[in-house]
Parts: sequence; C-alpha cells; structure tokens
Amino acid sequence: MAVLKVENLTKVFPAAGKDAEPTRAIDRIDLELSGHAFVSLVGPSGCGKSTFLNILSGVEEPTDGSITVTSDEGGPARFGYVFQDPRLLPWRTIMQNILYVHDDRGEETKRRALEYLDMVGLAHTGGMYPAQLSGGMQQRVGIARAFSVDPDLLLMDEPFSHLDAITARSLRDQLQEIWNRTRKTVLFVTHDVMEAVQLSGKIIVMSRDGRIHAEFTIDLPHPRSAADPEVAALQAEILGEFEKIQAAAGNGAAAPAQAG
Amino acid sequence: MSTGAAARIEPGARPRRDTGLPRRLLDAVLSNTGARITSYLVFVLGWQILGGLYERVPGPVEVVQFLADEIGRGGVWDAFQVTLERFFAGVAIAFVAGVVIGLLMGMWPLARALLKDTTMVGLAIPAIIWALLTALWFGFSWKAPVLTVALTATPFVAINVTQGVQGTPRDLIRMSKAFGVSTHRRVRELVLPFIMDYVFTGLRFGIILGWNGVLLSEWFASTEGVGWRTRYWYDANNFDGFVAWIFLFVAFIVVFDRLVLSPIQRRVFRWRTTVAMR
Repeated sequence: MAVLKVENLTKVFPAAGKDAEPTRAIDRIDLELSGHAFVSLVGPSGCGKSTFLNILSGVEEPTDGSITVTSDEGGPARFGYVFQDPRLLPWRTIMQNILYVHDDRGEETKRRALEYLDMVGLAHTGGMYPAQLSGGMQQRVGIARAFSVDPDLLLMDEPFSHLDAITARSLRDQLQEIWNRTRKTVLFVTHDVMEAVQLSGKIIVMSRDGRIHAEFTIDLPHPRSAADPEVAALQAEILGEFEKIQAAAGNGAAAPAQAG
Repeated sequence: MSTGAAARIEPGARPRRDTGLPRRLLDAVLSNTGARITSYLVFVLGWQILGGLYERVPGPVEVVQFLADEIGRGGVWDAFQVTLERFFAGVAIAFVAGVVIGLLMGMWPLARALLKDTTMVGLAIPAIIWALLTALWFGFSWKAPVLTVALTATPFVAINVTQGVQGTPRDLIRMSKAFGVSTHRRVRELVLPFIMDYVFTGLRFGIILGWNGVLLSEWFASTEGVGWRTRYWYDANNFDGFVAWIFLFVAFIVVFDRLVLSPIQRRVFRWRTTVAMR
C-alpha cells in the first residue's frame, strides 16, 4: 500500500505585481511512494521542490489536486521534517526541543528521544542549549527530532546544504545508518545530484515548469562511493537530464551542484 | 643583526606587561566598575559644589543628615510600605493587561485595528495627566495611585509585546506547524518565551514611568506615602527634606532595577550565549 499518494497536484502563486503573471510552482504532479522508500527530489532552483514539501506537510495549501498519506497504525499520518537550518527553540534545552514536537511527553517518549540523540552521537547534550552546539550538531538534533516522532513520512528539505562539505558528508553517513536501522519512508529534497545518488533508492527529477521530468530507480548497494564508476555514470545521466531541462527552458537556469 | 631598541620576543613567549602600581591603578579606574564608581564620585562632587554655591540647593551632607533625622523620627519605612503596595498592585495590573492586549494585537489583525490607536494614545499621555485625572475621579484614595501606575505602564508593555509577537521567528512557527504542534502549545512554548524579552523591556519602561506616576499621584491625592511626604517638606519650604525624599525615591528604583529586575532578566535569558549574558 502506498504511504504517499499525490494526484494532479498543482500550486499557483498569485501574480506579484500589476503586470506580472501568476507563478505555476507545481503543475499536475502525480506521485506514489511505497513504504520504507528513500526517494530524492532533485531539480534546478525554482522548480518547486520546497513548495512541494510545504504542501505535503500542510504548511501551504495546494491550488488543485489531492494528497493522501497513509499511516500504518490508522489515524492521522505523522510527519517528520528536517529543514535546511536546525530551527531549534533557543530557550529550550536539546531534550526539551525534541519533546516540543510530541504531545505525549511520558517516559516512553523521553526514552525514544534519548535513543535518537544517541544515534546521532549527541546523547550527552540533552541538558545543553542550542547556542552551546555547533551548526552541524544542531542539525543532527533536528534529524533526531524528526525521527523521534516515528513519522509515517519523513520530509527533508536540503538538510545539509548549509553545512561545510566535511560535516555534510558525516551527517549523510549518519542519516544512512539511521535509515538502515529504522527504514522510514523518506522524501529528500536536494540540489546535489551526487548526494541524491548516494542516499536514494529512487530519484525524481523536476523541471522548472513544476512538473516531473524523469524518474530513476537505483539498485546499487550501500555505501555508494563517488569514485564508483556506476555511481558516477548515474550522476552523469541525471545531470544530462538537467541539461535537457535547461535547454528546454532556453535561459540561464542555476546549475545543479555536481560535487559529492 | 641589530634589533635596535625593541625588545626581542621569542616565538611562543608573551610580551611582558608592566604590572607596577600606577598601571594597576589605571586598569582599575578604566574598568567597568571603576568607571561606575568614578561617575558616582563625580556626581557627588558636582552636587557638593552646587550645594556650596547656591543656598537653595541642599548639598549631599545636608541631605544625608536630614535622612538620618527622618529615619530617627520614624515614618520612612511606613511611607515606603504604603507606596510600594500601591506601586506593585499597579505594576501587576499593567503586566497582565499589557501582555493580554499585546498578545491580542500581535496575533489578530482585527484586534490590532481595534486597539492600536487607543494604545498609542495611552503611550502619549504623561503620568502627570493620569495622576490628575485619577485624583479627580477617585479623590484621596488608594485607587488613584494604583490606577496611575497601571494606566502609565500598560501601553508600554502592550506595544512591546505586540512587536514581540509579530517578530516571532517565522521559521520556528513553520516548524511547529509542520510537526502539528497545537496552537495552544505554540503560544505557551514558542510565542510566550520569545516575547519575554519584549515583555521585560516594556515592563522596565513601564516600571520607571509608573514609579514616577505613583509619586505624582500621591503628591496630588494622598495623605500618606512617599509622594505625600515629599510634598509635605516642599510645602514647608524645607529643601533639605524635599531633596532627601527625592533622593530616596530615585535610589529605590535604581536599587530595585539592579537587585531585582536585572537578576530576573539574567535568569530568564540564561539560554543565550554566555558572551551575550556577561
């Protein structure tokens, strides 16, 4: 059974000024995600990736179409969300930040929060404040927070884009480990094609007109090294799709990141 | 190779610092504490000089002497007790009313449209006007000083809280909504802690102006309290007494700010970086 089913999803932003046109950020997207999948959404800047996540998580309303997220346990689906920046409450400790997104803060929830903090290597920071942690550590707390709600769907919006390359690589590896253990359904937005190839079982390429341009299924074993010829070939193939998108757009769209 | 007159510093060695007495004295004077003490001494010295030059300006010595006599006569603590009860009652009203009005204005555009202009008018009305109006309405009663404090301080708290609510980081609100955090918990655990900074700022302004208000109100419409006692000596043409009570009045609010408001603010905001807190 599909965890996520998106049908004919469209989002149009009203015109910004008197003479401007409305912006069609997402245009009739159909998508299905099955359980335990790690799917990446890649595309050039402005193709609607983040808007798509915002609609999925309920922060924005779609103009048309439907979204169905199914929970294994019945009842409303739970979302976990990891943002580009950590978005921790500065006046709460790390443990309190994780508990903030839980309605039930009993012993079981605290135990789970500590378990995920431990998975990201931060079990000792529960009593500390965010300002006492580095940016990379704060982002790890954000990842632990998202996993701790035991989400039916975990949405990740370019979570490593604001980090330096070394920290990003370390967090990528940790995310891979946690996903291997928990097998959550993940929708991962990134502009870094190599990152998508290294993490995902499926890659969806979006074009600048807000549509799905191509899909790739990846069956390579983990861990996937950037030096592996098959990984590099896949990256090149996806980048080729970007070039087709840019050619079709006919103007200087922002080039996607190529480094791994 | 000659190194001239400059001292040669080995790699890794720290330059030797002059630690003689003159240097240590200069460091002490130029420190924060030294600067503060210097300002007090300059103030007292300036006051003494003015007091020596002008008959109508009581100097610090006369003021201290008068205070000692007044304390001996009794009544200083009683007067303060009365005034402080009225003052804190007014501050409590201002805190609650200011936060509620500020939250309403910050969260709902309709409430903002309804209340903002009224609040701005409240900001513009000086404490003396409230003191006179409440004296007209309530005569010689405890209500006048309490209401003067409340009416003076509330707009400051409200306006600051409104700005705080509107300035609540959008990314934290979106994070809360993305995780399905209820509105009630969002207000309690996100908005309220964030706006505490603004509440404190508004309350601090409100307290200082409200303290002025209680003095004025007791001046016009009371038969007890600090304001009344100050007026008593003024009417009696006793400048030493008048200035002594003004001194007490000002000293209280300065000490209150240092010993009560500052530590509370430090404790509430201990989550900030230690650099910011020093």
